[in-house]
Amino acid sequence: MNDDIAIRVEKASKKYCKLLKRSMLYGVRDIGRNALGMSSHSNKLRKGEFWAVDDVSFELKKGETLGIIGPNGSGKTTLLKMLNGIFWPDKGKITINGKVGALIEVGAGFHPLLTGRENVYVNAAILGMTKKEVDEKFDSIVGFADIGDFIDVPVKYYSSGMFVRLGFAVAVHCEPDILLVDEVLAVGDYKFQQKAFSRIENYKQKRIPTVLVSHNLHTIRFMCDKVVVLNKGKMKFIGDASRAVQTYQALAGEEISIREQFGLNKGSNLVKIKKVEIFDLNGKKRKVFHSNEGIIVNVEYFAEIKIENPIFQFGILRDDGLPCYSGNTAMKDIKIKSIEGKGSFKVKIHRLYVNSGDYVVGVIVFNKTMTAPYGADVMGDFVVVSDYPRTGKSCPAFSVDYEWMEISNG
Amino acid sequence: MSNIIKTYEPDNSLKKGYLSIFKEIFSEIRKNRWLTYQLFKRDFFAMYKQSFFGVFWALIIPLVSVGTFIILNQSGIFTFGDIEVPYPIYAVLGMAFWQLFSTGLIASSNSLVKAGSMVVKINFSKKSLVIASSGQSIISFLIQFVLVGILFACYKIVPNIAILLTPITLIPIILLMLGLGFILSLLNGVFRDIGNALSMLITFLMFLTPVLYSKPTGGILASITKYNLLYYLVSAPRELILMGKVSEWKGFIVSSIISIIIFIICLIIFHLTETRVAERI
Repeated sequence: MNDDIAIRVEKASKKYCKLLKRSMLYGVRDIGRNALGMSSHSNKLRKGEFWAVDDVSFELKKGETLGIIGPNGSGKTTLLKMLNGIFWPDKGKITINGKVGALIEVGAGFHPLLTGRENVYVNAAILGMTKKEVDEKFDSIVGFADIGDFIDVPVKYYSSGMFVRLGFAVAVHCEPDILLVDEVLAVGDYKFQQKAFSRIENYKQKRIPTVLVSHNLHTIRFMCDKVVVLNKGKMKFIGDASRAVQTYQALAGEEISIREQFGLNKGSNLVKIKKVEIFDLNGKKRKVFHSNEGIIVNVEYFAEIKIENPIFQFGILRDDGLPCYSGNTAMKDIKIKSIEGKGSFKVKIHRLYVNSGDYVVGVIVFNKTMTAPYGADVMGDFVVVSDYPRTGKSCPAFSVDYEWMEISNG
Repeated sequence: MSNIIKTYEPDNSLKKGYLSIFKEIFSEIRKNRWLTYQLFKRDFFAMYKQSFFGVFWALIIPLVSVGTFIILNQSGIFTFGDIEVPYPIYAVLGMAFWQLFSTGLIASSNSLVKAGSMVVKINFSKKSLVIASSGQSIISFLIQFVLVGILFACYKIVPNIAILLTPITLIPIILLMLGLGFILSLLNGVFRDIGNALSMLITFLMFLTPVLYSKPTGGILASITKYNLLYYLVSAPRELILMGKVSEWKGFIVSSIISIIIFIICLIIFHLTETRVAERI
């Protein structure tokens, strides 16, 4: 194998069985055949089986970061687990060159009754560290986790945030040759996520090849040199991040993917958002706008019961989940007495200001205290082009009016 | 960057041949000694941390079962058979050896399922997990052995000098426990029935094995005992401590050889198929 390559996946496939009882039977048969030294004929599907990962091939060079995206159930985690060697492909071949570290599960093997200190040692051992390594890095681990005196308290008294931080702290101290990251970054508070990110960035700078599975398209765009799009186990696309994200969105249906990213609660669902349309300021329906143009958003809803004093809220979201801005009727001191049945509202945004990208409108209908939504949805997509090109990785969020006032030389 | 190249493909181990498997297994276990110890320590501390009696729980089961048998005997329901030493010493010693096997087997059989979420998410040595969980029973055994010592003192009996050989005579029963533990933990990963059935079967098996009574001389039980590996594996170390000799040494040696063979076969099967379990657990 070429020494420059960290991971080579050749036509790797993995099958699963949908039925538990049948899967038990197959399991024993496979174990039996393997134990007796016979081939388990794993390359053929038996009744009730399907390919969870189907004929996937790619290569990851040292220093590269590869993203894996795809709708739920597309085989991302299965692929990652195969790269980690937790189970082997049923067909094809995976070659790994180096020690693999995986951020797939944080706090694995933590026992609630043991103290943080005791758990650090167990967890580190499970992740493949030696005693010497842990002794050396112990202070750094505790520092990273930022849990102070709690290190000598049983883990069951930890807040969930502390638990995750400690688990993550151990995991990032593994110093692998190859790093595999699953959605773990989605946990923890903002400050912790930033820390986690900078750590992964750090790995990137050290040219440690990384495979990243994420639903956050912004993360994928920002971090990855190359992205694989999976759908139903098959590889739909491999290539640069921007085009991969587009492929994924076309697959998933953009609105669904955004809702997934936000975990948007549809509330009590008593108000349904029927339709969201975008017009330009002249009232013409359009899909593509320049960032210095304005838009009019027309929302149609249906309230199933009579609702007193509702509050309407709208928001503009970028496709990677970045909320750009929002506003509601309460902010503008608009009182709505009640709504019932069919209705609509219109919002005029004088100028978009956002940079090149794909955007959607989020609509929420709140109760009068804004504590519980009656209904919410993400609908109505539009595209913005600006003078700032969409570079794929780090397009700034906004385009504002500015001028160079003075440029002096010497 | 360290130059470890690993390939994963179907039926991976087979392609390398059986001989290299031994080397693989051996180096894996050696490499993961610290992990095994950490997992063992975790289980040990976790078990007794939120417990008032702590490690003394290890004494409850032998005391209760031996006590029950003494009551049964005094009521004339049950006879121990022909035993040359005070019954409590005979029984507690037998129970210590038996429990070493039974608790170890139950713990190791459940180890993979118990650590399910870890097994499916992290690639670590599953052998360490099985070995570590059976280590629990060795601690219990040592505690029970202290009880045996106290009983010896109470009855003012000095155990035979051959007691020093106990660690060696225990090797076969430990290997049998580990071997069965390996294979049952795998099967338990696929069929949960194994774990449930095992705890029931093991009590049943204890009553069928002359642990709390002497070797039967007639009836079906006598013929079962003749072929009961566990009888020889328990009674030989016990006889050695109490009498300084092993009367059925042939039986013990044959049982030991069978145990070692079972251990090796089970370990190989476990090694060849452990990745299969991660996908089914």
